[in-house]
Amino acid sequence: MMEKIRNYYLDKCVLLFMGILMFDGMAMAQLERKLLDPDAEVELIFHAPRQINLLTVEPLEEKTLHFAIMHTFGPVSGGIRNLYGLDNGANIQFSFEYAFDANFSLGASRSGRDKFYNLYGRYHLLKQTKTGSMPFSLSMVAAAGVNTSDYTFLQEEAPDFRERSSYAVQLLLARKFSNRVSVQLSPSLVYFQAPHPAYLIEGDQQLYLALGFSGKYKLTGKSSLTLQWIPNLNNDLRSNVGVGIDIEAGGHVFQMYFVTSPALNEQYLLAGGNGVPGEAFRLGFNVNRIFGTRSR
Amino acid sequence: MSWKRKWLIPLIYLLVVSRAGAQEFKTTAGEVEFLSQAALNEFTGKSDKLHGLIDFEQNLLDFYIDLNSLRTGIGLRDRHMRDNYLETDQYPFAEFTGKLSEKVNLEQNQSMEVMADGIFKIHGQEKEMEVRGTLTQVGRNEVLLEATFEVKLGDFDIAIPQVMFYELSEIQKVKINARLTR
Repeated sequence: MMEKIRNYYLDKCVLLFMGILMFDGMAMAQLERKLLDPDAEVELIFHAPRQINLLTVEPLEEKTLHFAIMHTFGPVSGGIRNLYGLDNGANIQFSFEYAFDANFSLGASRSGRDKFYNLYGRYHLLKQTKTGSMPFSLSMVAAAGVNTSDYTFLQEEAPDFRERSSYAVQLLLARKFSNRVSVQLSPSLVYFQAPHPAYLIEGDQQLYLALGFSGKYKLTGKSSLTLQWIPNLNNDLRSNVGVGIDIEAGGHVFQMYFVTSPALNEQYLLAGGNGVPGEAFRLGFNVNRIFGTRSR
Repeated sequence: MSWKRKWLIPLIYLLVVSRAGAQEFKTTAGEVEFLSQAALNEFTGKSDKLHGLIDFEQNLLDFYIDLNSLRTGIGLRDRHMRDNYLETDQYPFAEFTGKLSEKVNLEQNQSMEVMADGIFKIHGQEKEMEVRGTLTQVGRNEVLLEATFEVKLGDFDIAIPQVMFYELSEIQKVKINARLTR
């Protein structure tokens, strides 16, 4: 008798269980939505590999080429008579940077001021991730450049290649704090082999240390307010200050800004020549473009 | 039911469940390609991470793709696409869920024009859509789906800025190519 009752309930249980399993098997109408990579890298910490004059942690995709053309004009204080500095002509820098893989790129640039050629490399050590498993991005920049201006006019002998050389090393530490706000610190070191008075730099020392600061505040999906501040750490030269706006348009990023120095490359940026912010601002304008070199 | 017949239960279960799943074809590696043809610029974006399910018994279709997997060949353009247009942090998926307009019963190597009615969802916006495609039974356990349709960005609240008007098309032509297996 007891046996029978127990069997009865056991049967019920087994059937119910089977029923649930069957229902489960048949109710698979929709697929579960799953992200392919929930811990992906944070993107667009900055709009482009450059912001105003400083390099950023923004990486290039493998086998792509970044072309940037940067200009700074004369002081705005010249007024409408000089069309706010545009009549003074511009210091122009062209740069090409090629990414060998997602972490390493090599670049070459040429700025008009002192006809300066620069070779540089950017290596991305760490990349901020969406879940915060990596809270910031860290990149390294190293550059070596040479001033190719003609110094035959000098009474003394013109500086040789070694004396014309200068170097820069930067660490870029950046974090996208929110969809709107990104900040980067760039501790920088610059070394001039032999700073000559004829060079278009203000400082006369060999070693320059500075802490670059870049800020981005996103206004709309495609534009941001940008800020650059480069206080010097080992001299009394005036700090570089820049404010601007970044605008994305397709594969282009346009950057317009006011900045206190005409310098465009890493070495010259740290070697002084900055006007008083507000009084001696210059208009600046960059165009960034990325080219894919992989055939699709 | 006596104890002697209990061994039948798992068999019955297997029979019923496998029958229910018998007409389900799935993929996690379907191909999606979109083409943007604007006056000054033409480009395509691709992904091979289309997830899909077709259930011929219930006449049901369900497809989705993680939009982060789309590639146009230019990394910066991809990032702008994700960040500014598709806003994939908020809306990571494009989805289509619908029904086949008629019962499909294919023989081996036979193909057939099909029509699916359903809801297409992208950028947090839904729209009813009819999609025309071709189904081919390529093996006993394998069907091929090819379909094309157009997505009008404005319908899904994806705005094209004035400066981009000649670079990015309002109409995106989407092509799907998926091999589903059971």
